[in-house]
Amino acid sequence: MVNKNLVKDVVKEPYKYGFVTDIETEKIKKGLNEDIIKLISQKKEEPKFLLDFRLKAFKKWQKMKEPDWAALGYKKIDYQDIIYYSAPKQKEKISSLDEVDPKLLETFDKLGIPLTEQKKLTNVAVDAVFDSVSIATTFREELAEHGVIFCSISEAVKNHADLIEKYLGTVVPASDNYFAALNSAVFSDGSFVYIPKGVACPMDLSSYFRINSGDSGQFERTLIIAEESSSVSYLEGCTAPMFDTNTLHAAVVELVALDDASIKYSTVQNWYAGDEEGIGGIFNFVTKRGKCLGKRSKISWSQVETGSAITWKYPSCLLLGEESVGEFYSVALTNNLQQADTGTKMIHIGPKTKSTIVSKGISAGNSKNSYRGLVKMGTKATGSRNYSQCDSMLIGDQASANTFPYIKSQQPNSEIEHEASTCRISEDQLFYLQTRGIEFEEAVSMMVSGFCRDVFNQLPMEFAAEADKLLALKLEGSVG
Amino acid sequence: MEIIEKIKTNKSNENLTEIQKICLHKLQSSPLPNPKSELWRLSNKSKLSNFLDYSVNEKDSKFDIPYPKNSQSTIRLIIGENCQIKLIEKNYSIQQLSEDELQKYIKEQISNFDQNENWSGLLNLSLSCKNNILGLKINGSKIPPIEIFSHASSNSLNAKTLVIFLENNCDVELLQVNLGKENSSLSQSTFFCLKENSSVNHGVVSYGENRSNLLNSLNVIQQKNSSYNLGSLHFKFNYARFEISIKQSAGNAKTNIKGMQITKKDEQISTYAKIEFNGPNGFLDQINKSLADDKSHAIFEGSIIVPKIAQRTDASQLSRNLLLSNLAQIDTKPQLEIIADDVKCKHGATISQLNEEELFYMRTRGITLTEASKLQLSSYFQEIISFIPISKDKWDLLDKLLNEN
Repeated sequence: MVNKNLVKDVVKEPYKYGFVTDIETEKIKKGLNEDIIKLISQKKEEPKFLLDFRLKAFKKWQKMKEPDWAALGYKKIDYQDIIYYSAPKQKEKISSLDEVDPKLLETFDKLGIPLTEQKKLTNVAVDAVFDSVSIATTFREELAEHGVIFCSISEAVKNHADLIEKYLGTVVPASDNYFAALNSAVFSDGSFVYIPKGVACPMDLSSYFRINSGDSGQFERTLIIAEESSSVSYLEGCTAPMFDTNTLHAAVVELVALDDASIKYSTVQNWYAGDEEGIGGIFNFVTKRGKCLGKRSKISWSQVETGSAITWKYPSCLLLGEESVGEFYSVALTNNLQQADTGTKMIHIGPKTKSTIVSKGISAGNSKNSYRGLVKMGTKATGSRNYSQCDSMLIGDQASANTFPYIKSQQPNSEIEHEASTCRISEDQLFYLQTRGIEFEEAVSMMVSGFCRDVFNQLPMEFAAEADKLLALKLEGSVG
Repeated sequence: MEIIEKIKTNKSNENLTEIQKICLHKLQSSPLPNPKSELWRLSNKSKLSNFLDYSVNEKDSKFDIPYPKNSQSTIRLIIGENCQIKLIEKNYSIQQLSEDELQKYIKEQISNFDQNENWSGLLNLSLSCKNNILGLKINGSKIPPIEIFSHASSNSLNAKTLVIFLENNCDVELLQVNLGKENSSLSQSTFFCLKENSSVNHGVVSYGENRSNLLNSLNVIQQKNSSYNLGSLHFKFNYARFEISIKQSAGNAKTNIKGMQITKKDEQISTYAKIEFNGPNGFLDQINKSLADDKSHAIFEGSIIVPKIAQRTDASQLSRNLLLSNLAQIDTKPQLEIIADDVKCKHGATISQLNEEELFYMRTRGITLTEASKLQLSSYFQEIISFIPISKDKWDLLDKLLNEN
């Protein structure tokens, strides 16, 4: 029934964010050494504690080895062949969006990012990061009325140094892993969010990351702090132009939730994935971690991973506070020669902590899609619970789907449940849909979207619609 | 660790067999497994070195089978004692494998052995002298149940190897019993080759004593339409590793595994299972249970590998664990690696303690807490024990386990 020729007929829809913005940029020379780090720090006029933080991280990084346990096949990265700082040239200080280079605004317009504040209907505040620096942050004043701080991390370093010094590196220490150490040494920009006590953030916050240059890496750092009884929903989107070289993206995201606070962090990752032969594309090696410090605090990660040549990330939760909750909802789609090794870590330390993991992997073409997760119950995690569900869907007989759950328990009074399954699109269901007059491709996309429903339900509405569309586009023609 | 020193220096002993030399050579560059590798990461290093502390004993002391209930209809063999076996009856035959057959098969197997992954097997074969290798060729049907014993003597390390060929259309029940003595180490390696249409109910019962250690590796090759059922039980070992490797060489075969490990005191018992499907229509149903009490540590790591050729594979793996003490630890890692698309694969894992609601219910019916826990445990054990062949009545395994828990 199924036309086998269609299998080879891989994604036809070109990557629509693959354009390059021709804009004058300020780049520093390639390579990585202490002088480069000092230069970055100097350009950003950073206080001493941050320079020390960077240099310490760099020293640690030099002693570390690049990890290879994930068995991801990629060419060795030459860390001296990367530009660690690249920024579009613009006027020194921007007082309003009118002063932003129109080319940049145009770029974000093309990407569908509402930077102009007239687009208030969307009610989403955006921080746009272009290569190494943050370009603009919208809705600041309105947020400020509620006491919410939402700005680029460079600004936060200048204006809220106390908070940065207190929290930076407390969730993901510089020595955590190879890429986190690299990021700590050279991070250029990113977003900073602070929600004061008792405030429910009046709108969704969003950052948008855009890599423009082919030879510069992107190393952004995001820090979100939710004080007692506050809540925030944060969205993150990423795109990059098409280059035939691989670009490194090594970000660090740190979340801190205090008593009764809740943070929802959603990502739609659509970096350029390389072409059908696997040339080019972004290496997405990201460390994301949240610390539920307070009692009854909650951190929820939801992600849709469709881009990048290689994705290697495990958004995690450290559940320290009593009755704290960690959640992870993920859809990872790989096609052509993409590789994704993603999952989560739920570390239950405090008593009565709960975590839920729902991971859906879809592999098509020659791609490799792995779920790797850790659930750990510490000795004090009495009455804690975890539930994990990992489903994989295989499309075509060249793709691979792997599941590697690590489960460790040291607390008898806790419960862990894990289940995983692998399947393919059921021919019976496809046939049924087709008999009802639904086109083959549409039927497939309906079924994929049904498969991912549990996760899409967790995404903010505008993201869910985008994610659904994205999956349909990515899979177009890949099913046979 | 005298043994490791010997491997390192490799003083070529003329008495060594060719297989021993090959294995020693493979181990020589790195005589110990890589402690950072996934397969050895959780293994207790000091317990492993304790395993290797004893010197090798090639001649066993007199061995009394501890279970006297010997029925007439069972064939009993002891590795290291039975050298000449030739049983030819009307319906069946059990014969010793010829030297050539044995050598050829083992050599073929170890050619694919990896220093790290098959370290236990390589160590076993490098230590097993000719007397301690038992090779059998089993043919026919209506074969009486077979019991094969392996044991270690106190204060020594014993290496025993068993190779079994099941000929076409053969059907057999086989129970392997590994017995550890006080302060002893037993290295047991078993090779099973199931030819087409053959079927075996294989039981492995490993029962230790105070401070005994065990490295037990099992290699199974299943040809087409063969059926392999394994029921295993490991308990009372200071340190034990059970490494299962099953290959369905051309698919179309069935594998059922039900295993259990029970740890107490500061024991560590682990099971590593790797099941590869090298052909279509393979079937696997595996369940592994662990029970960890006191300060003990139970580990399960299972992987199911389904390459592109293995279409229509139906595999499931379940790891169920009971953690009964605050100081005990359980690690479990069921893994799936799948490339074929037309497959049904699933796995699951749970870790919990005894079901409180059930306990409460039983107590409302006048059953004491101890008895209620025993009842629950017995149903937990029973599923596995009933799967071990010829053990049900004769071995009183359930009583043994319950009375000790």
